[in-house]
Formats: sequence, C-alpha cells, structure tokens
Amino acid sequence: MASLAAAQVQEVRSITRIERIGAHSHIRGLGLDDALEPRAISQGMVGQKMARKAAGVILQMIREGKIAGRAVLLAGQPGTGKTAIAMGLAQALGPDTPFTSMAGSEIYSLEMSKTEALTQSIRKSIGIRIKEESEIIEGEVVEVMVERSAGGGGARSGRLTLKTTDMETNYDMGTKMIDSLLKEKVQAGDVITIDKATGKINKLGRSFARARDYDATGQQARFVQCPEGELQKRKEVVHTVTLHEVDVINSRTHGFLALFSGDTGEIKSEIREQINSKVAEWREEGKAEMIPGVLFIDEAHMLDIECFSFLNRALESETAPVVIMATNRGITRIRGTNYKSPHGIPLDLLDRMIIVPTTPYSHQELREILNIRCEEEDCQMSADALTVLTRVATETSLRYAIQLITTASLVAKRRKASEVSMEDVKKVYSLFLDEHRSEQFLKEYQDEFMFNDGGGDAAQMMEVAQ
Amino acid sequence: MDDQGKTLKYLVAVEKLAEEIINDKREIIMLDKRRNQNREAIRDLSKSSQLKCWVTVGSILVKHNVESTITLLESDQKQLDVDINKLRSNLKVKVNSLRDLEMQPPVPSLMLVPISDKETEGLSRAGLFSCKS
Repeated sequence: MASLAAAQVQEVRSITRIERIGAHSHIRGLGLDDALEPRAISQGMVGQKMARKAAGVILQMIREGKIAGRAVLLAGQPGTGKTAIAMGLAQALGPDTPFTSMAGSEIYSLEMSKTEALTQSIRKSIGIRIKEESEIIEGEVVEVMVERSAGGGGARSGRLTLKTTDMETNYDMGTKMIDSLLKEKVQAGDVITIDKATGKINKLGRSFARARDYDATGQQARFVQCPEGELQKRKEVVHTVTLHEVDVINSRTHGFLALFSGDTGEIKSEIREQINSKVAEWREEGKAEMIPGVLFIDEAHMLDIECFSFLNRALESETAPVVIMATNRGITRIRGTNYKSPHGIPLDLLDRMIIVPTTPYSHQELREILNIRCEEEDCQMSADALTVLTRVATETSLRYAIQLITTASLVAKRRKASEVSMEDVKKVYSLFLDEHRSEQFLKEYQDEFMFNDGGGDAAQMMEVAQ
Repeated sequence: MDDQGKTLKYLVAVEKLAEEIINDKREIIMLDKRRNQNREAIRDLSKSSQLKCWVTVGSILVKHNVESTITLLESDQKQLDVDINKLRSNLKVKVNSLRDLEMQPPVPSLMLVPISDKETEGLSRAGLFSCKS
C-alpha cells in the first residue's frame, strides 16, 4: 500500500517537471550594459536596439520612482518583439517590483464590470512594503527540566537552558510555557525560537552537534547550525504586499481564501478608500513604503472608449503604477466609437504616453532569434536548416518559423537523427501551411467550402483593417 | 601618486567602518550576555529567603542587602536594554553607509518603522504574511 502511494507521488512529480516552454521563455532581461547601451545579443534579446534603449531609460525612471502615473506605448508590427520587451522589463525590475500582465480583451470575459477589472489590475501593480518586528529568543536547547509538584495540583515549574555559540543561560518557566514546550516536543539538542511578546515556540530543527545521537532518524529531522551571537535577538521581516491583496483581505464577504481561488468579485469602493487612508497614514508615520509597479496591457486596442477614459483619470491619481501598453494597430477605429485614431487609442490618452516604436527585424537578427529559440527548445539544428528557417521567417513570419522549430525537431527525432537537417524543415514546411499559403489555398478552392458567399471579400477586408 | 593616496584613504574609510560594525556586533553580544546573567541573578535573589547576599564588584566581594541589590540590578538591566537598542539602531545607519562606500545600493526598507503589534497580528491572521515568509 505504501509503495503504491510512493509510486503515485513519483508520478505527480514527473508531471510537474515537464515545464511548458512559452513563446518568450528565453527572455531574462533587457540585455543592457551599465551605461544603458543595448548589447547586440544578450539575455535572450536580439536587435530592437532603439526600443530596448528606450525601455532601459524607462526602467531607470521606474527604479527611481519618477515615472509613476505615466504611460508607455509599445507600437509596432506583429512579431517585432513588443511583448518580449515588456517581459524583459519585468525581468529586469526584479521580483520585488509588482508586475501585472493582462491582455486587453481580458476585461470583457471577467464576471465583473470593466472598470472594476481595470481597478483591480491597477491595484495589483502597486506594492507596499511594511516591516514586522519582533524580539525573539533563539538558541539551542541544552536541557529542559520539569518538576512536578508533589501534590499533583498542576502547579509545575521548570527550567530551560538555552545556548548559542557565544553564551548560555537558564530560564525559569511557568506552567503555560512548560505546556507549550511539551506540546512542541522540545528536547535537548533542538534549535528553537521563542517570541517574546506572544510566547510562541517555533522549532527550527536539530543542532548539527547532535546529528549522531541516534542511528536512525525520522524523515522530518532537519539539521541546522547552532545559532550565533546573542540569545535575545531583534528579528525584522519586510513584507511586500500589493494593494489588491490588502483589499481582498479586508472585503469581508470573501476573506483571504479568495486570494488563492482568484474569485474576488467586486470590491466596494468604501473599502478601497479605507485602505488608501490607512496606507497614507502608514506612509506619513514612516511605516510603509510605496512601490509603484508596472501594469502591462497587451493588445491595448481591444480596450474600449470607457476603459480609455477611466485609465486617463486613473493615471492622475498619486498612487498609479506605470502603465505599459502594446498594440500592433495603425490608424484604426477606437473601440466603442466611430472615430479613428492612431493605434486605436484616443488622442488625449495618447498625449500622456511615451511612444516607443519597434521595427521589423533584419535578416541577421531573425537568424539569431531562431538560434536562441532552438537552444531554448533543446533542439540541435544544422547550419543550412537554420538558413532555410531564416528564409521562411523573412518570407512569412517569425512566429511561423518558430513553430517550425519544434515540429521539425520532432520529425528529426522520428528518424532518430540527433540534428535537424534541411530536409526536416522542408518536410514540415510542406506539412504545415503558413497564413499566405493557407489563404491561397482557400482562394483556389473556395467554391468547394461550406458557407461560401462567392466573393472572398471577407479576407480582403480583414487585410485592410490590419 | 595622488591616485594612490586617494585609494588608501578610501580603503581606510571602508575598513574603519567595517571594523566598527564588527565591534558593535560583539558589543551587543557582550551586553546581551550580561543582560541574561543579570536576569538569572534577579530571579535567584527573588527566590531566596535570605536578607543579605554577596555581590562581586570587580574583584572584591561585598555583602549587600538583597532588596537594594535587586533594584540595582534592575536599573542596570534597563540601562542595558537602552544600550543594546541604541547600538542596534546605529548599526543600521553604519551598514547603509558602508554599503554606500562600497557602491552598493542600500538595503531596501532598512529604515522603515515597524508596524504595531496589533496590526502585525491582524495582518498575519488574515494570511497576508504567512504565505510569503
């Protein structure tokens, strides 16, 4: 029975080990040197030097907290690395700066109003740092002595001897402390901490010096070093929480479990106001630090006029994150209106933005990107196959060429080759159509498809719209 | 030549500050040791039924009244607490200025004022802290 359970555990582990490789998983940062100059190929980034340099400047401004409440627009054709730059920015900011990424169309599919969804993501991108301080006694237990009074009346007294590498001391204990020590099964050789304010005992593990006390130990036995320095320490822990987390905890109907289930629903504005004033109070007293993070909205043209005007207003608030939007549209209709505007974004909002353009990749850069993707997907590719792929990428699209890497490597594995050859790439190129060939095919045979209205205008119109 | 002098000056400054930090840490340990010894003494004295006790002052033993000894020790204890806290707060400033000298960014939020016990309790009970630390 036990072995069966163990086997199941093994299985579960092997599933989690298979990591999915995302389209931008190779990006580790912006690839800039200390002077903010972009390196040609670094941290998974290739080319787009101007855009990366601009992103580097923005990064510096975010770090100095100077850009809060402004917006950045990454504009460029499809497949020119807009999302890659945003991801790189997020990586370069480090784990401590909140970074929220959402797609513009996400706001339509949630079970809440559009403005609520936007407010939540804005508040998810603002972090506050608060510090928790406690006085603790930390040491290795040398001896625990419990004396039971003769009458058995329950009044017990005890003595605990603790030591660090520098000192040793005795503590007299009352009934309550003895009870909690016994409950935690504290014995000589354990390293424990005692919270001075609450009296809570925490077992950190067993001291290394006692590692040879027994021949067999349980699985849970964890060995730690005997603590150094003073016995009574001051422990400071800095927590970084987002405003949204605080919101969720304080909206009573859901409680903190909603944080994990993701089902937060709408949060009342009174609660937000209360929290804002509390945080403002903390900041005034020097108890909290604000970290304006980054909200990244991909496919920003999918937002409609209401969202844009809401964002316009939200950016003015003093606790606004940096909003980075990405769009691949040219002059197009603003959603929800009949007006046309550059990038599908109203002019008044566009006016607040720093616009960073991305340009199509050159031939050489495409080759480098494909090379990086090959490495990321663990696929050996011969030089001529890579040349063919680069051709494919220039003639069709980079995304299509990247798709071919995995498929070609699978074909190569089928014939038990260690390296992907030109033939493999050609084979998958004939197996899978790119958009142009697919369109051609459809035009050729459109009479034989269902629901054909004969015109073939729909495809034409789509092309114009883009 | 001028460059060398500058480097030397810089190194001296860094070493001096680093030495100070190490000394402060040692001092805190020494003070805490004494604090614990005092605490043990107070505990033992308050349990004993005698009226007089022996106190070591430097290398001489003095017979002293128990009650006044306890008040003496307690005031010493208070002074020790103050000294330790002062050392700890100064340590933060020193560490940050050392990092500044070494061209490293300061430790984030080192100088934050901690939130009150009540707030800590509330927030940790709500699960805000437990899932992170």
